[in-house]
Amino acid sequence: MICKTNIQLLRLFCLIRSKNKVIFNVGLILLISLNSLSAFSQSPSDALLMPSKNICILVSYESGNFNQYWEGNYLRKNASIGTLSRKTITTMAAIGIIKDLNAYISLPYIKTASSEPNGGHFAGAKGLQDIAIAFKYRTTEKTLDSGDLSLFTTLSFATPSSDYLSDYMPYSIGLGTSEFGIREIAKFQFKNGFYAQAMVGYFWRGYTEAERDYYYNNGSFYSNIMDVPNAWNFEGGLGVWLIDNRLKIEASYIGIRSTSGDNIRAYNAPQPTNRVNIDRIALSAQYYFKGIKGLGVLAYHNNVVNGLNTGKFSNSGLGLNYQFNYAKNINAEPNEK
Amino acid sequence: MQNQMKSKKYIKSLLFAIGILSISCEKDIPTYLSYEEYEFSTVDENGGNWKPILIENGSALIIKSPDNVDSDTYKNEVSKLKEAITSIQPNQQKAINYWTNNPLVRWNEITLELIAKYNLIPGPNEDGSYTLPNANNPEGPPAFPFAHPPYASRALAYLSVAQYDGLISAWHYKYLFNRAAPYRYDNSIVHAYPENNIPSYPSDGAVIARVSKKILSAMFPLEVAYLQELEDEHLQSLLLSGSYVESDISAGTTIGDKISELALTRAATDGMKKAQTTKAVSDSIKAAAFERFGWQWENLEIPVRPVGLTPLFGKVTPWNIENIASVRPVAPPKFDSAEFLEDVAILKNHANNMTSEKRRISNFWQDGTGTYTPPGHWNRFANEFIVEYHMNPLRSARTMAYLNMAMMDAGISCWDTKYYYHYPRPIQMIEGFKTIAGTPNFPSYTSGHSVFSATGAEVLAYIFPEKATLVRGWAEEAAISRVYGGLHWTFDAKIGTEQGKKIAQLAIDKAKLDGSD
Repeated sequence: MICKTNIQLLRLFCLIRSKNKVIFNVGLILLISLNSLSAFSQSPSDALLMPSKNICILVSYESGNFNQYWEGNYLRKNASIGTLSRKTITTMAAIGIIKDLNAYISLPYIKTASSEPNGGHFAGAKGLQDIAIAFKYRTTEKTLDSGDLSLFTTLSFATPSSDYLSDYMPYSIGLGTSEFGIREIAKFQFKNGFYAQAMVGYFWRGYTEAERDYYYNNGSFYSNIMDVPNAWNFEGGLGVWLIDNRLKIEASYIGIRSTSGDNIRAYNAPQPTNRVNIDRIALSAQYYFKGIKGLGVLAYHNNVVNGLNTGKFSNSGLGLNYQFNYAKNINAEPNEK
Repeated sequence: MQNQMKSKKYIKSLLFAIGILSISCEKDIPTYLSYEEYEFSTVDENGGNWKPILIENGSALIIKSPDNVDSDTYKNEVSKLKEAITSIQPNQQKAINYWTNNPLVRWNEITLELIAKYNLIPGPNEDGSYTLPNANNPEGPPAFPFAHPPYASRALAYLSVAQYDGLISAWHYKYLFNRAAPYRYDNSIVHAYPENNIPSYPSDGAVIARVSKKILSAMFPLEVAYLQELEDEHLQSLLLSGSYVESDISAGTTIGDKISELALTRAATDGMKKAQTTKAVSDSIKAAAFERFGWQWENLEIPVRPVGLTPLFGKVTPWNIENIASVRPVAPPKFDSAEFLEDVAILKNHANNMTSEKRRISNFWQDGTGTYTPPGHWNRFANEFIVEYHMNPLRSARTMAYLNMAMMDAGISCWDTKYYYHYPRPIQMIEGFKTIAGTPNFPSYTSGHSVFSATGAEVLAYIFPEKATLVRGWAEEAAISRVYGGLHWTFDAKIGTEQGKKIAQLAIDKAKLDGSD
């Protein structure tokens, strides 16, 4: 009985995944669902929690581009694509549900284009990417002589929210598949305001649906279904809270490692089945205003410094966040550190 | 506290669920056509009298007479076969199931896979120059060949023609010598496939294996070792299937060797070697078009490719076209004509009002670099129909031979038209125009997809009349897909479709006289 239920559940899940036709094609070059949230304070991958009954609304704009990409591990140019740009507007809400448990929901809108002249004259893509929900739970909190140690677990689920085509790389806006993620996060907050944090995550991706029913992935595949590789995600960061805990500055490393997949072939388009590895370094700053309680701004910049089957992206972003207590209707203090 | 514990428990069960889901959703995505051995709908005992393509008739290739079934030699072969069958390993059984009793479809799929593997357009070097694949240095880089649509159509044509002639020869000798399969003489031999009364000397499977290996090794020289492995596995599975003794198989490979040599001799002198020209020749072709019509197609890639794809493929020797100029369509519209201006508006309209349906059609038929190309797509359909209609290997080979001769002729005629008129692509003529697929490196008029697809559809409609409406609909869709994608004018597609039908008719007229109907 249990078995049967499970199988039905599985079928349902598989169906959902294969019917997701959208256009999330960032994949290759784009790596979105993993990262679009990570620059925010108040994100599934950081080590912050909001008090219960608080909501934080974030709106951000990100501009990224690359004019070189790794075909396998060979860094090359493609002047017929020129500089590929990707602009993202993300709306996200973080909700403090109970003490130690936050929920997140986010939805990015993405637009891609080639710079002019565009030797291939390719049209870019645009649309709503994946809707993501996540729950972050603080499993451990310990006060030691030198500072506070916290451990968190985040579970996330993301799925395409529009009919975007993933098999239109490098312009597609996402991978076009559902994704389950688990992240384990550790943070140590020193008494002097500095903190260190580390995260390891694993992402199960499903299948994406192409609009052709034959493709080559180290051999023939007679299907429109493409297997999107699962991936490991690593992050390590150092940061500090300054100015009465109103300003947070952080430097971090973010790594992605696909667990399977093929390489982009010579001078050929990438596809969602590709093995994508990314090493990226990032700087971010977030400031909470003194005058308007709960209002903050954030700015960040990150660069892909090494990769496999991915664009050598440089991204900059700006965001606004506003945090308030939905139960008492008063603005909350800045986050717990 | 209680709360916390509850939450932890919840998280744990969610994790468990995720684990189960991710393991159980692994799919087997098919890597080849899913079919099993089947009973042939006909045996075609007169197949040895059908008219072959390269040779005079089914008796033109000589093999020796088989040993009598009462001879010690034959009995010895049978006992060796029985011994081999008793020790079949799991991988050998898997091979028997994979190759089936119609391995022609498998070798066609292998060809499609190699086409997709080698269908990669060379990128620019650091200094902006381009290096072309070179048959004398196949490793490259870039690797030889670049299996673009003309190359693919030609590889498939030689493969299919050699298979067909080889099988007509095999059928001739089968019914001349009438030596039945070993399982018919010794009922202790387990036969892996459905029984039939087609004689076994020579083995038709062995003809197919040897021809395929030889033709494909010439077309894809870097794959010689891989193809040898496939041939070895296939020949062994023929034996272990209980259908043939060793001498049946070696007689089949003898025919395979002989017909492959004839096919490759034709290939060596068909003009393909000169199809990719120097820049000087390419420029003179372009200048001739400009002189005649006042226009010329330009490559717009960055850096510019100095020479289009195979400007002289139109001069390659066709199979069924007597006079290439006689099938060349009329000139495309002038830029100041109402027809042209109307087309500009149509293309802009498609680009500005892209729908998911138009996008789907464009992508489904795109068959661009990295895929099996449009000729490959039509071979795939043919494979599916062959299995659906339970064709025997000889009929399958006939289907593929007429399909692929016509498809190569379609390419030759289309390329002749393309470089004669040298007509610009939409991205060259419409300011700021963007496409949802890559614009190929050759002139616009007529559309290769349209000519190939109309030709493919007509040949398949002749062989599978019940599929006529279906395949003609597909051809229309393949043609318009190029307009939706922004790569072609509507007249490229429309005139290309008419052109394709004419080319197909030449093949069909010939096929109707070959004695098989």
